[in-house]
Formats: sequence, structure tokens, C-alpha cells
Amino acid sequence: MALLELKNISKIYGDLKALDNVSIKVDKGEWVAIMGPSGSGKSTMMNIIGCMDKPSMGEVLLDGVDISKESQKKLTDIRRDKIGLIFQQFHMVTYLTAVENVMVSQYYHSMPDEEEALEALGRVGLRERAKHLPSQLSGGEQQRVCVARALINHPELILADEPTGNLDEANENIVLDLFRQLHNEGTTLIVVTHDPEVAEAAQRTIVLEHGRVAREVINENFGK
Amino acid sequence: MTKRKMFLRMITASLLRRRSRMLIALLSIAVGATILSGLVTIYYDVPRQMGAQFRSYGANMILLADGKTEMTSESLEKALGLIPESELVGAAPYRYVRLDMPSRQQSFTGAGTDFEQVLKTSPYFSVEGEYPVNAREILIGREIAETIGAKTGSSLELSYKPAAVISENAEQDRHSGASLSGSAEGFNKVPLTANVELDEEGRIASIEVDASSQTPGIGSMVGTDKAFLDQFIGKTLPLRLSGSGSGSGESEGGDSEDNPAQEVDAVTGATVSSQAVVDALNSAVSSEKAAAIENTEHFTVTGILSTGGEEESYIYMTLKDLQRLTGEETLDVAELSVSADAEELEQYAGAVAESNLGITARLVKRVTRSEASVLGKLQALVFLVTVVVLLLTMICVSTTMMAVVSERRREIGLRKALGASDQSIRKEFLGEGVFLGGLGGILGGILGFVFAQVVSVNVFGSSITLQPLLLPITILASIAIAALSCQLPIRRAVAIDPAIVLKGE
Repeated sequence: MALLELKNISKIYGDLKALDNVSIKVDKGEWVAIMGPSGSGKSTMMNIIGCMDKPSMGEVLLDGVDISKESQKKLTDIRRDKIGLIFQQFHMVTYLTAVENVMVSQYYHSMPDEEEALEALGRVGLRERAKHLPSQLSGGEQQRVCVARALINHPELILADEPTGNLDEANENIVLDLFRQLHNEGTTLIVVTHDPEVAEAAQRTIVLEHGRVAREVINENFGK
Repeated sequence: MTKRKMFLRMITASLLRRRSRMLIALLSIAVGATILSGLVTIYYDVPRQMGAQFRSYGANMILLADGKTEMTSESLEKALGLIPESELVGAAPYRYVRLDMPSRQQSFTGAGTDFEQVLKTSPYFSVEGEYPVNAREILIGREIAETIGAKTGSSLELSYKPAAVISENAEQDRHSGASLSGSAEGFNKVPLTANVELDEEGRIASIEVDASSQTPGIGSMVGTDKAFLDQFIGKTLPLRLSGSGSGSGESEGGDSEDNPAQEVDAVTGATVSSQAVVDALNSAVSSEKAAAIENTEHFTVTGILSTGGEEESYIYMTLKDLQRLTGEETLDVAELSVSADAEELEQYAGAVAESNLGITARLVKRVTRSEASVLGKLQALVFLVTVVVLLLTMICVSTTMMAVVSERRREIGLRKALGASDQSIRKEFLGEGVFLGGLGGILGGILGFVFAQVVSVNVFGSSITLQPLLLPITILASIAIAALSCQLPIRRAVAIDPAIVLKGE
């Protein structure tokens, strides 16, 4: 069953068609990578999937509900309830500790629970660093905190924007391993990347070019 | 952990861990609050301060006997009790009498008062030397000092003689139906007394002379010789002894004209005593006055008073000295300096009038009116400055918060991406603003008191009283100002697009 379905969506900025009649489908529990050079429409698609933007045309079905015409406020609610976000530049609240950063996500979602937040940090191997400020953490550690933050509310979809773009190989592998774990637990993952290695870790890769889906590649080596 | 706890944790972390920027906002609020609370303190203290300044122009309320009852220290004390103690700057009682200076045969107005109070009610008194402190010390007006050539340290003999004092009064007392009595020195300077009653026309209806002190059988005859006494019946005062020159002794017999209708013949062999009877009658005053004691004392001048006014022709002594000298306890007037506006003064005057103490209160309008007008202008000025400072503070805080918002754009975008509603963002920034406002308010409230104190001491030369309500009011006002200043920055924060967190845009 499709968790996310984009039906003939277009996004038009003046004369520019950032997305041009794109249709994709992501099933529940699936791990999909979205690739493409800059200007291919990746970011626009990411914004739309992340409920931060609306298409000019077409439908976006999330969990069977069309969210393409929803108000900004409603989109915020949907994003909070269903989507966990991971960013290229980590984005942590600089004056809050690691565990507090995880709790911020809980705070907006439902109730802050320090114990649960610590557990999530434990899952990414950072329980010992819970009381550290972002400035005291390495890039890899920060991104792991962000993964913990993204999964703390058990979202149906984790949307990662170049999650390893700013990481070295060792840390990239740690993050990818975490994704594998999440995938094995049944979490749906959409990873936007330009890194073929990261894309190869996914089950399927959708390649965008000039605002259109250029091709889709099934990773036959997945799980091996 | 509850949501509220997390909210507070985020806000305090934001303020504590991002010190530099927040310090600027905090500082501007604290400075604003300092000026605010300082000016408000001064605003409320100015009337008191200025009141004290105005009090230096003299009394603004006067208490007098109402004409039916005499005013005494006791009744004055009760009347003063009707005025709040905190507002009563000073109350100087005065008793004025005519004092003679036998050495120069001159009379002056003597005033008995309480110098400690005079310092408060008449701060404009300029004294060369010292105020009297001990008994038999006097302060004399510059005019008197120049007339008699007295200096600080000079010794003066002053006497209070009811009969003499009243020579002129004697005439007033000679109304129809009056009962008069007088005394004069007879033979060997021994005094005798004479009492008369006047009829409707003011003529002598009956006479009684107590001459038992005179030489028995000779001088004493003036009290018993019917022929002598009968001469007085039907005559009007003043009188003179036939064959004698102008009056002598203490009387002012010289006043009487050369009119046989006002002459009486002396008892043979007792001319001096007869003259004494005439003198006694001429100086006779209403009986109570006559009962007063005649007294002479020596006083030391401790100071010369300059005021530029009529006070320069008075001799001031302590009330105690004057009372001993005159044997009277009445007061003529009390000058009050009250730290209150015209309306309150009217109220106190009304209370005194209603108290049935036999005292009426009058306001010195000239002083109270100019006081009210100057105070009004000063308060308007302070108010204006306060408003301007508040506006400046708001602009400063608003600008700082604006900078804070743009500095935290990414963080705000992140929070929104994580699911923060506009409401949450608003709440968080407002929370920080309120926190800053509260902290700045506490700081400013304390500093404001210091500021007001410094201004007060330097400008008015006196310290201020702490208004206990002012601290909470300052804190609340600071919070309100901070919250208000945050409105525009908050609007901008809410408008931030969460998509900025993607792709390092």
C-alpha cells in the first residue's frame, strides 16, 4: 500500500517549471532514494513531500489523504505527526543540549520525556553525550542526534535531505546503518542525495532531471 | 517532564546560553525601567520635595482663636492632632504682647514662640547669632537692634505692665456699665487700688478705694473720706487733681484737659495718696486685666533677626519666658507649615473648625496657589520625559529583538519544520520577552530607586522615601513594555519559512 503518492504534480515559479508533471509512489516500509543534479527539482519535491510547500498542480496523497490543498497550519500538523526530518546541515538548536534537542521534537509533537529521549540517543550510540551542547559534538555526532530527533515521535515517514552530505565516510556508514535499522523496523525512508553510494543503500532510486522523473532504478543488491 | 517545564527550560537556556545578545536587550529594558521607576519615584516625591521647598516661603495655614474662646497650648495641641503628623512640617505658636523697655521709656511688640518650630515654619528667618535656647534669652529684630543699639550679648531689661500697657486700652474699657479697677503707687511708693463702676453714660456711678496700705489716719482716709469719694460720682475719666500739674507717676494724667468737670480735690494732708487714687482710676482697666501681674526681667540678646518684614520690629523670646513675664497662658496665633495641596488644606481647616476647640484655621492662599501651579508643571514635565523614555526603550528592545529573530532565523525555521505552530513560536518569543522584561524590571526597579535617590539628593537636597508598590509596578510595566516591543519581531519570526532549513538555503 502506498504511503505517499505524488500524482502529476507541477511546481511553477514564474516561467520556471521546477517540477513538471511528476508522479511517484512510495510504499509503506519502502526505502527510496531521490537523486539528481542541482536544479533537477529535488529540493522542490522534498519541500512538497515535507509539507513545507504546495504543488501548483496535481495531488499529493499521504496515507491516502490529499494534502495538496491544505492550509499552512494543517500542513504543519501533518508534518509534526507523520514526518521525521533529517537535514544536511544537522540544524540543532545551538543553546540546547543533545537530549534537549531531541526533546524539542517531543515538545511540539506531544509531551517531552527525557527518559525516552535518552533512549533514542542510546539508539544512535550517544547516550553518554546527552548533556553536550552541539558545539561540543562532532558533525557525525550531531547528525546522529538529528536521527534520534527524527525518530523520537515514531513518524510514518522519515525524510532525509542529503543526510551524509557533510559527513566523512565513517560517519556516513554509521548513519546508513541507522537507516538500515529503521528500515528493518518498518519505517518508510525517503533520502534525497546526490551521492550514488547513499542512493545504492536504498531499495529504489528515483532520478530527477529538469523537473521530471528521468528513470527509476531498483537496487538489486539491496539487503545483501 | 511537562510541556511547561520544557518551555521554561528552553527559554532559560536561550537566555543563559546566548548571553551577549540577550544582555543588550536586558540592559535596554533595565535602563528603561531604571529611568521609569526613578522618574515615577520622583514624580510622586516631587510634591513632597517641592512642598518642603515651598514650606521655606513660610506658613501656609494659620490657626487663630475664634474670638469666643482663648487659644491655649492644650487646645492648639488638639487642633494639630487633626492634621496628619507626616504632613505637618511645623507649627509655631505665637503670643504677642506689648513690652516696655524702662531704660529707654519705649515700648515694643514682644512675641513668645517655640524656636524649634519657627525654624520649620519660617525657614527664611535669617539670624545673626543664635536662636534663644535658655530662659531669659531673646532674639530681637534688626530694626529694634538699630534703634536701641543692641548687639548679640547685650542685656536688656523688659517689663510687662498690664496697667501701662493698657493706658490706651483703658479708654476702650471705659464704656458704659463697665466695672474698672486700677492701681497706682501712693505714699512711699506703696500701691493702692481703686475700683469704679460706670453708668450708662460712662460716668462714675460708684467708687471703692482700698487704701489700707497707706498711712493710717492720713493716706488711708482716701478710702473712707466720703466727701472725697463723692466728688468722683457723675464725673467721666480721665480725671486730675485740682491744683496739681499734669499727671505724674505711671498714669498719663496729662491727657486730661483743663476742665473743672474732671477735677477732684485732694484729701487734706494726703495729696500723694489722693493723686494715687486719681492715677489708679485713670489707668483703670477692666477688672480681669487689672489682676495681671506687673513684672520686669533682664534678658540677654542671643541673635539679631533679619527678614525684611515686620518681624524686624519684634522681640522674640520663648513662650515659657513670655508666659512667666505676663502670667498668661493664652496664644494669639499659630503658624503652620503643612505639606499638603490646597484641597487637603481646606479639608484640614474644615476639620479644625468642626472640632469645637474654639480655633479657626485660615489658609495662606498666596503660597498654596503658586505651589499647586508649579507642582502641576513639574509633574507634567516628568510625565513627558517618562513617556519619551518608555518609547525609546521600546524602540531599543524592539530593534534588539528584531536582530535576535534574524540571528535565529534558522533555529525558528527548524522549530517550524519540527512541527512548531505559529502559536508556539509566538509563545516562545513572548516568553523570552516577558522573562527579559521581568529581569530588567527587577534590575531597573532597584537601580531606579538609587537613581531617584541621587537625583533627589542633588536636586532637592533631601533623600526620598521608598514606595513599596513601585517595585512590582516597575516589573509589571517592564514586562508589558518588553511584551509590546516583541510584537513586531514575533510577527517576523512567525513569517519565517520552515523550508530554509533544507539544503542550507
